[in-house]
Amino acid sequence: MVILLAALAIPALTGTALILTGRDSVRASEANANLVSLVASIATAALVVATVVTRPKVDYQWLPSLGVRWQFSVDGISAPLLILTAALGIAVVVHARSYPPHGGSPTTFYGCLQLVELGALATFLSRDAVVFFLSFEIVLIPMWVLISRFGDSHDLPARVDASGRFVLYTVLGSTLMLVGILALVHSSGTANLDALAAARGAGLDRSTQMVIAALLLVGLGIKIPMWPFHTWLPPAHTIAPTAGSVLLAAILLKMGTYGIVRLVIAPLPIGFGALAPVFAAAGVVGILWGGLACLVENDLKRLIAYSSVAHMGFVVLGLSSGTTVGLQAALFANIAHGVVSALLFFLVGGLKERWGSADLATARAALREVSPRLGLALVVGFAASLGLPGLVGFWGEFLAMYSAWSPAADRPEGFMRVLAVLAVTGTAVAAGYSLRVLRLIWSGDRTTPAHVDAHGGEWSVLAVLVAAVLVLGVAPGIVLNTTSKDVSVITSEVSR
Amino acid sequence: MSQAVVAVNAGVLLPVLAPAIGAAAVLVVDVVAQRLRRTHYLIALVSLVVGAVGTFAGLGMAAGGVRQTLCLPDGGQCMYAADSVASGLQLAALLAAGVTLLLSWPDDKKQSSGNTAVIVSLVLAATAGATAVAGARDLGSWLVALELATLPTVALVALRGARSAISGAIALLTTALVSFGLLALAAALWFTATGSGFLTPAAALAVIDDPTRRPILVLSVALVVAGIGFKLSLVPFHAWTPEAYDGAPLPIAAFLAGVSKIAALGALLIVIRAIAPLGAPALTTIAIVAAASMTLGNIMALRQDSVVRLLAWSTVAQAGWVVMPLAAASSAAVFASGAYLLAYVLATLLAFAVVAALVQTRGAARARDLSGYHGLVHDHPVLAAALGLALLSLAGLPPGVLGLVAKVTALRPVVASELWLLAVVAAVNAVLGVAVYLRWLRVVMATAEPETDKTAPVAALAPSAHPATLVAVGLAALALVVTSINPQLILGLLGS
Repeated sequence: MVILLAALAIPALTGTALILTGRDSVRASEANANLVSLVASIATAALVVATVVTRPKVDYQWLPSLGVRWQFSVDGISAPLLILTAALGIAVVVHARSYPPHGGSPTTFYGCLQLVELGALATFLSRDAVVFFLSFEIVLIPMWVLISRFGDSHDLPARVDASGRFVLYTVLGSTLMLVGILALVHSSGTANLDALAAARGAGLDRSTQMVIAALLLVGLGIKIPMWPFHTWLPPAHTIAPTAGSVLLAAILLKMGTYGIVRLVIAPLPIGFGALAPVFAAAGVVGILWGGLACLVENDLKRLIAYSSVAHMGFVVLGLSSGTTVGLQAALFANIAHGVVSALLFFLVGGLKERWGSADLATARAALREVSPRLGLALVVGFAASLGLPGLVGFWGEFLAMYSAWSPAADRPEGFMRVLAVLAVTGTAVAAGYSLRVLRLIWSGDRTTPAHVDAHGGEWSVLAVLVAAVLVLGVAPGIVLNTTSKDVSVITSEVSR
Repeated sequence: MSQAVVAVNAGVLLPVLAPAIGAAAVLVVDVVAQRLRRTHYLIALVSLVVGAVGTFAGLGMAAGGVRQTLCLPDGGQCMYAADSVASGLQLAALLAAGVTLLLSWPDDKKQSSGNTAVIVSLVLAATAGATAVAGARDLGSWLVALELATLPTVALVALRGARSAISGAIALLTTALVSFGLLALAAALWFTATGSGFLTPAAALAVIDDPTRRPILVLSVALVVAGIGFKLSLVPFHAWTPEAYDGAPLPIAAFLAGVSKIAALGALLIVIRAIAPLGAPALTTIAIVAAASMTLGNIMALRQDSVVRLLAWSTVAQAGWVVMPLAAASSAAVFASGAYLLAYVLATLLAFAVVAALVQTRGAARARDLSGYHGLVHDHPVLAAALGLALLSLAGLPPGVLGLVAKVTALRPVVASELWLLAVVAAVNAVLGVAVYLRWLRVVMATAEPETDKTAPVAALAPSAHPATLVAVGLAALALVVTSINPQLILGLLGS
């Protein structure tokens, strides 16, 4: 119990302290801020691992007037996401040793990273629906600061636009989600997520379930982001600093899909079942839309952002199928996208620093020739992104398509099969854009303008992520076995 | 009514009596010793503190608990009854008046305008009106107390003497007169319909089944909403707000944004509680007015370049949030409305206090204009942090957790009554609100422009803010931090 609270307290206190440390203070140097963050992130990660292993439960009264309690615990569904968050929390700090933040005080930068980590951990840990919402909101302002202050320094209006879009879209999503949560809590009489999941919508008629599910799906769909609510994501990724992009893609997007599992699929099976075809269709449109955009996009960061839209489309498809396999696929694809997008954004962030821009139309030295380490990471990253078997990207997407082909009994089978076929087309498009990027920047024999290869902190982060892509690709059971028990509890009733 | 009032419990009436006696005492002292300006303020603060202590007994009472006095003989009805929501509003009014006084604390270096005693006693008189109206249960004292809370503010605005102050005061006076006319008519209709001089559920209950008298009561309630709408700055009765705020001295603008709003809501809640048995029809008006206020207030606030006008329009928008829960007829609605108001008042007072401090250090022209806040975080990091907390609390985003919890509280009754349209309008307005406050915050956080030689000498000569102003900033900021960590401190005041 103490472990769990400490895992939240450390990033909260470190983040606040760092932000409140004035930039003029002697101790506020970049190196010190980095060191403090590194120590805090490692300590947090250790505590998170301990939490995942020991599975403590925390339950404190917080707002008796509203019936809101600090309820935190871990189960198989949140455990992989917690580990991912904690690991990337360390990775962004290590990576920032190679690329110090510019645009503002380093203490603010590292403080914001800590607060984003806090928000993500609290979201994945909370078992009270209202606390879940509050945690969801914690990440907004730090992320807004990261994008608007520490983003791409070339273009102030673009920073204002990107950070504003990010925050406004997300607030719209989360307020709609709040309306849905309050409706759910009011109509089922409990705010406890486990109790909500156990009740499985008992006592709620179909139309009530559909209204609540629709509010929650739109609200969380903006966060994922699901087509057609994805338009905030590409600018945010293009402008955000590397650490911001990584946290955004690898962790914040997962809060949306995780929320759908917790707040929609488990407590509102009938309402979700009724809306699932529409939801799945939006996901598949996202797969194709994102993929096609990637085929013509010339900004590498923006390209990866669009590919995120496509990958999250597979997660949405898996969630919609209503089967255990589909839900497992979605949760695995969540983690897979977290690892792969983190790898790619670290990589591209580094390349952008070297190149001065992320424009693909400019002729560059081939990575294969001048920087083999970066080249290797790029090949692995894009190979995983296109879903090559044996790498982490494969399992989630393959299983998601499989689950759409054989969905739960209450889903329209023919329609879902059409969607599955379209999703397969999407993987072909993914192969197309992945190979296009590799052809443009990896292959070839140009050696000018030369740049240094990854080393030090950057290389260690990339190497660990490459290893994770390979290990989880070969042994997906590490994640699938963790989630399977809790997933089957949810779906046993859904697919009744 | 002609019978003698038998029971007068001065202890129960303390929140009203203390500021009223203080107002008289200030005038007496002024006759005796005119030059002791500080003494006036000290007397005022003491009376406010005594009044605040007087509310303690009424705070956090269980549902149904009231402290009443001025009761008619033989167990008759009481003309003064304060439940925990009323006590909470009284406490907030007294503390907000205290902050106003701190902000207008006399500066030794400046020549006295000779108005000190007048200003102080007017503030106390209006505060006594605000605390009285929250407990008034009969038409007579309700009307008189509400006007006592309003009319002194006209003089307070006008006393500055500048042209803009006069025009603001005229706008306020016209509004006050129209509003009084509407409320007097409403009171007359109430008496016609119910035959009772008391604003109690029992009086309204007698009319429910009478088809001839019921419409009169509904009309009366509609007029109350309109009359109070003027005082709360609800659309379409809001037009005076920016004029009066902008024309008034800053502390008085803070008073209008704080104490006046508390008085208006206190008056409205009396009527809302009385007509609770009447149900929905009268409350549809509130839903429309709330939605219109939020939307127009936020849109206009987005266009303001003067921070005082921005805060004025923000008041309009926040007033919409304050009355929104009342559209749902439930006891939770009254609680939610009170809770939202307290959160709003606290955050707004902090914002005004920071602006006042900056007026003293940087001059009125710069501190009242949005562009004057450019890079504030570098020049005055502490004030910038306090302002940021206030703005985020108004926007309802962490770290302004209090504002976020207030939004949750306000939305709860709306969702529980399944007013989906209103809930979605509120969600959209949450986004607009965030845009309003982040627009200001972005300027505050901007990197300082290289203003070359201009800033340095000015900074050297810049007078520091008056200690009383800094105390006000500190107290408000401390209160906001503490209540953001534990919002139950505010919610608990209003009962459970």
